[in-house]
Amino acid sequence: MDFEALWLTLRLAIATTAILLVVALPLAWWIASGRSVGRALVQAVVALPLVLPPTVLGFYLLIMMGPLTAPGRLLIGIFGHPLAFSFTGLLIGSVLYSLPFAVQPLVAGFGAVDRGYTEAAEGLGVKPWTVFLTVVLPMARISVLTSAVLAFTHTVGEFGVVLMLGGNIPGATRTLSISLYDLVQDGDYAAADRTALLLLVFSLSALLAIYLLPGVRRTEGGQADVAR
Amino acid sequence: MVLVASLLGATTLAGPRALAQKKLRVAAAADLQPAMPILAEQYLKATGIKLMVSFGSSSVLATQILEGAPMDIFLGADFTYPEKVVAAGLADGTAPTPYAKGTLVLWARKDSGLLPLSIERLTDPRVKTVAIANELHAPYGRAAADALRKMKMYDAVSPHFVVGENIAQTAQFVESGNAQLGLISLTTASTAHFKEIGEYVLVPTSQYPPILQCAVIMKNSDRKAEAHAFLDWLLTPAVQENWQKLGFAAVK
Repeated sequence: MDFEALWLTLRLAIATTAILLVVALPLAWWIASGRSVGRALVQAVVALPLVLPPTVLGFYLLIMMGPLTAPGRLLIGIFGHPLAFSFTGLLIGSVLYSLPFAVQPLVAGFGAVDRGYTEAAEGLGVKPWTVFLTVVLPMARISVLTSAVLAFTHTVGEFGVVLMLGGNIPGATRTLSISLYDLVQDGDYAAADRTALLLLVFSLSALLAIYLLPGVRRTEGGQADVAR
Repeated sequence: MVLVASLLGATTLAGPRALAQKKLRVAAAADLQPAMPILAEQYLKATGIKLMVSFGSSSVLATQILEGAPMDIFLGADFTYPEKVVAAGLADGTAPTPYAKGTLVLWARKDSGLLPLSIERLTDPRVKTVAIANELHAPYGRAAADALRKMKMYDAVSPHFVVGENIAQTAQFVESGNAQLGLISLTTASTAHFKEIGEYVLVPTSQYPPILQCAVIMKNSDRKAEAHAFLDWLLTPAVQENWQKLGFAAVK
């Protein structure tokens, strides 16, 4: 077992999940609070990583972060080095790649919150931000948890983006999935089995925990959703 | 019945055309990526046989073939991986056939600020990233690591390694400017694009064991005769002389 890769993967998943919650909560609330072409467009763009092959996303990020493009030069100016082959670069890639997994459960959860409560609170003069924190979030707490678990597990299992962007550096970009790939390539199936089993057990337990939560029912699509 | 009849008709019609357009399934190591389209075009012109090429690192291709990938010929980037196919009893013949020698180069973009290029640049204090193929399962990566060890540079350079999954990805790391230097194949460095945007120096061939690229033909292929004919063609003096332009050295 490559414990360095395990530790790196956990750090990456924790950081990705933290950033995603900060980004996804307001974004999903905005998407869920109305219907407009703008909202639909944003939702569609957020969902793109679901359909783009991860290696393609990783390749675009590699080019975008490199010194040949204006955004890449800007990033190099800010960080002092190219972001590819670094933990920060992987973090950016992971946030983009897992964004739909964080946003979509939240949109569903916020959409299920009865507007009667929020309107009543606003009618009492409570500020929208306070309404969001004290009324909406507690009512959609299971969606928040689902979103966090999905973002975390999806980052743990991420491969294509890391392969294209990472450079397989121990302690910086060699995640557990890359380590597993290397083990398979080297024909070390016994070690590969152990790593794969760990990933499998971890992911299954995390997903099982969501589905066992009280108040979570399984919709036809199999996605966890909040009961009204 | 009508459908069956029309299907049969279609098959009969397609028959002669399928014969005219024969295909050969080739599993080719990643360093052949720049050379293969040129070879395939020449071969199509010479014989009318179309090469259907799948690229990958030699180890991935060998594993896929061992697991039953439908291939007629495997062009590896070394001896080890084709030999695995032979050892598994899947090859037509008792040993892999060398068809070319690979050459390792150090490459940098012209705008990297590291020109004029020399091997000593690898230990230049400005160099923070050196792209290298995975030394555990990419033949060029192994050759590069061997060369660095023999030149007593490995310990100084390895902290700056960014590791490509195969030699083509390694080239992409340095071509995109994300890595400053790259230990890549001469086949890639010889392409018009890489010549235009960068420069290379040869890694002295005395510093690494020869990258003897070997081929095997699959025992289970139903196009064994065609596969042998293609391998023979690769070994003809005309093609071997052409190797240099494509970044290989001749084996004969």
